[in-house]
Amino acid sequence: MKKTILLINLLIVVVMVLSACSPAAQPVTVEPAAVEATEVPVDVEPVAEPTPAPIAVTDDLGFEIILAEPAQKIISISPSLTEILYSVGAGDRLIGRDSNSMYPEEALAAADLGGMWDGIPVEDILALEPDLILAGEIFAPEAIQELRDLGLVVYWQKNPADFEMLYENILVIAVLTGTEDIAENVVSSLDERISALDMKLADVDLIPLVFYELDASDPANPYTPGAGTFISFVINRAKGQNLGDGLEGTWVQVSSEALLAQNPDTILLADALYGISAESVAARAGWSEIKAVVEGEIYPFDPFILSVPGPRLVDGYEQVAEILHPELFEE
Amino acid sequence: MKQNGNPPILQIRSLSANYGDVIAIKDISLDVQQGEIVGLIGPNGAGKSTLIKVLSGVLKASAGEVLINQKEVSTYSPGQRARTIAVVPQARQLGGAFSVEQAVLLGRTAYLGFLGKPAREDLRKVAWAMKQTAVDFLADRKLAEISGGEQQRVLLARALAQDTPVLLLDEPTNHLDLKYQVNLLKLVKKLVKQEGLSVLMAMHDLNQVSGTADRVALLANGQLKAIGSPEEVLTQENILQAYQIEIDTFTHPKTNKHMIFPTE
Amino acid sequence: MKNRPFLVIFILLGLSFLLSIALGAVTIPPGNVLKILLNKLPWFELEGIWPAYFETILWDLRLPHTILVTLTGAALAGSGASFQGLFRNPLADPYLIGVASGAGLGAIVVMSIPQAGRYLIPIGAFLGGLGTIAVVYRLAKVGKIVPLTTLILAGVAIGSFTSALTSFLMLISDEMILQAMSFLLGGSTVTGWEPIAIALPYFSVGILLLVLSGHSLNVLQFGEEQALQLGLSVERVKIFIIISASLTTAAAVSFSGVIGFIGLVVPHIIRLVWGGDYKKLIPLSILGGGITLLISDILARIVMAPSYLPVGIVTALIGAPFFLWILRRAKKEVFW
Repeated sequence: MKKTILLINLLIVVVMVLSACSPAAQPVTVEPAAVEATEVPVDVEPVAEPTPAPIAVTDDLGFEIILAEPAQKIISISPSLTEILYSVGAGDRLIGRDSNSMYPEEALAAADLGGMWDGIPVEDILALEPDLILAGEIFAPEAIQELRDLGLVVYWQKNPADFEMLYENILVIAVLTGTEDIAENVVSSLDERISALDMKLADVDLIPLVFYELDASDPANPYTPGAGTFISFVINRAKGQNLGDGLEGTWVQVSSEALLAQNPDTILLADALYGISAESVAARAGWSEIKAVVEGEIYPFDPFILSVPGPRLVDGYEQVAEILHPELFEE
Repeated sequence: MKQNGNPPILQIRSLSANYGDVIAIKDISLDVQQGEIVGLIGPNGAGKSTLIKVLSGVLKASAGEVLINQKEVSTYSPGQRARTIAVVPQARQLGGAFSVEQAVLLGRTAYLGFLGKPAREDLRKVAWAMKQTAVDFLADRKLAEISGGEQQRVLLARALAQDTPVLLLDEPTNHLDLKYQVNLLKLVKKLVKQEGLSVLMAMHDLNQVSGTADRVALLANGQLKAIGSPEEVLTQENILQAYQIEIDTFTHPKTNKHMIFPTE
Repeated sequence: MKNRPFLVIFILLGLSFLLSIALGAVTIPPGNVLKILLNKLPWFELEGIWPAYFETILWDLRLPHTILVTLTGAALAGSGASFQGLFRNPLADPYLIGVASGAGLGAIVVMSIPQAGRYLIPIGAFLGGLGTIAVVYRLAKVGKIVPLTTLILAGVAIGSFTSALTSFLMLISDEMILQAMSFLLGGSTVTGWEPIAIALPYFSVGILLLVLSGHSLNVLQFGEEQALQLGLSVERVKIFIIISASLTTAAAVSFSGVIGFIGLVVPHIIRLVWGGDYKKLIPLSILGGGITLLISDILARIVMAPSYLPVGIVTALIGAPFFLWILRRAKKEVFW
């Protein structure tokens, strides 16, 4: 259980790489001769012209990062940042990653630096000689400072609270890698999808109560995200009511009794990967009376979609909306 | 010595037993008549306690037989044996939290059945036993709170409640004050006469044995060295061989009992 | 109070039971609690207005949970009292002598076999507990007796070993089984009637056998030698008690995990107030164990609501000081 919470936190912190369903961007191959990208044509041609101006960026811890040129050897220790890196076309520069950075598949080629739960593997990182390390919100400032004290360049990124912040997160990584143009396209296409969905949902007035189950190690008291999480944000935006919002805390346990009292209309099983199914849920003591169980509104849900705060959050928005309001999507 | 033509109640024939490889008692034969007290003496390690353990079923004999009322007891279950032989141990390992009455009631274990529910007969016997041993006024007191002498009497009461023809006592006067020692032995004599019990009593003090037992059996190195009246057994020669000390004997002018005293 | 132990204990048990049912994450007015419960009986049709989920909560969640907690506490205290009597050792307790941990290992082994159904869990626990007590007994025996020190040493050693094996098995298992096993870490949040249906035969048989052993345990208090001389078939009785106590412990551990202190403290408290006669001590400990675990479970649920503490922490926290207090009071009286 602890494992899962940690994983989710890690994922939330890293910005994701855009998934295959995004139309425009293709991975950019930049020549190792350290070129700075200024203008990149829309339909993806490698090569940018060298510019002498250094890159200066302030990370979310307030630390100023100065790069002489776009980063070429990048380590990402959070899945969200891995996904964002790939989405802006700089994925081939990834030389090391944490073991939870599994999307996209290409990321698996980079060196696996382990799970980060026992601390950041500083020696392995030094051995890879990166010029930039991307770290997400899960890492404490002290841990980041340790890396900086060793002369490493570390960019720390906070989780986004909404889509606008997500766009900023993507764009700032693009600045660090000199791929701003690709990023702008990525962001605008994401924004288009979101606006389209917002419009579709505008007239919806039946808002179902949604229980998003993160973890059921203790099936009588499962874990669910509370208010302030991106999951809650997406569910609410998709015209659903996140049950966890009524509870205190970000990752909270809810008792079977409370669930019976609240009687959610829909259950999203983000722990379906661990063998939880509609049948096993219905078999839990007392749960057979819950509305979602009675009406069969139980859906498996990919936990990484909404738990890794990267471009795939938009996929998540679309998926949740389709589950909650299927009538809007019948074509 | 009380001989009345009837066969002895307790008959021990060529009894041997060992602890592993060590031979504890070898080829012991002796009888106890009804209404008789046989004193069992000998130095420590001679086999007195072992003999009592074998007789009471705690230790298995390696050879020989034991007959009570002419019946072989080696095949008896613990319950059956407990209805034929009762033991009065030394007052050492006691369930201190029990009351005197509860402790004496445990003497009826062999009659009580698995649940331990006493019938009227059981309670009657218990009351009688406590009265005989003068512990009835202590009935509700906890064992751990009464004196050593009283504790020993309670154990005697428990054995009496067991209602057996044969009674074994294992050095009952050890650890007791002189007054209690004397009283206990007087009590035993009285009960034996009154109830017609057959008693085998291991003892330490040779003069006390002389005053209490009808016959004396001397054990040394696991074997029976002598058996007979106190005068016959407590001789200079026997004591020298068994205890390795020199003694002299005399007859007490007032009690007429055969006494010994060391001359070293 | 001293003269009517069963009356007092039954009243306390009833109160604890009702309290446990009345409390939970969702507030249900006590009046409704009583009405809903009584309506389940054929003679009652009480009127009242409440949402349907009140009934689900009470009947499907709280009632089976309360029953399981009661049975678990009863089993632990009963086997604790029996082990104390059997080994004539005031520190004997199913956890300290390793039986509970061994039962836990047995349960985990069964759970790690996917084909084995939940019905086999108590059997695994029983075999585990029995195996452990056999090993501990062998190790601790010195000549004919089982001294205090060696028993606890052997129990702690074997208990630690089996606990370590259990943890190891859990670590190398995959997620699904991990979930199934998570409750074994001392939580009684397993819900529903299924665990009760599975474990009830073991609970009832075990507890009944222990109650019947009261007289034999009394006789054993004078030592095995005297017990034999008094006519008790000592070896048979020892085996009988060991099997019964292991069975009872296994039932408790199967679905509630390893909970310490109940088996140690409850018999002592009963003993201090009502004496050491095992014919009374065993049944009173059984009932007292139910009360104690119910109260501990209630505290575990409400102290840090909506989170809950593992009940084992609560039993240790309230058990230890309470025992010390009673011990001070009763120092004058002999209770052992």
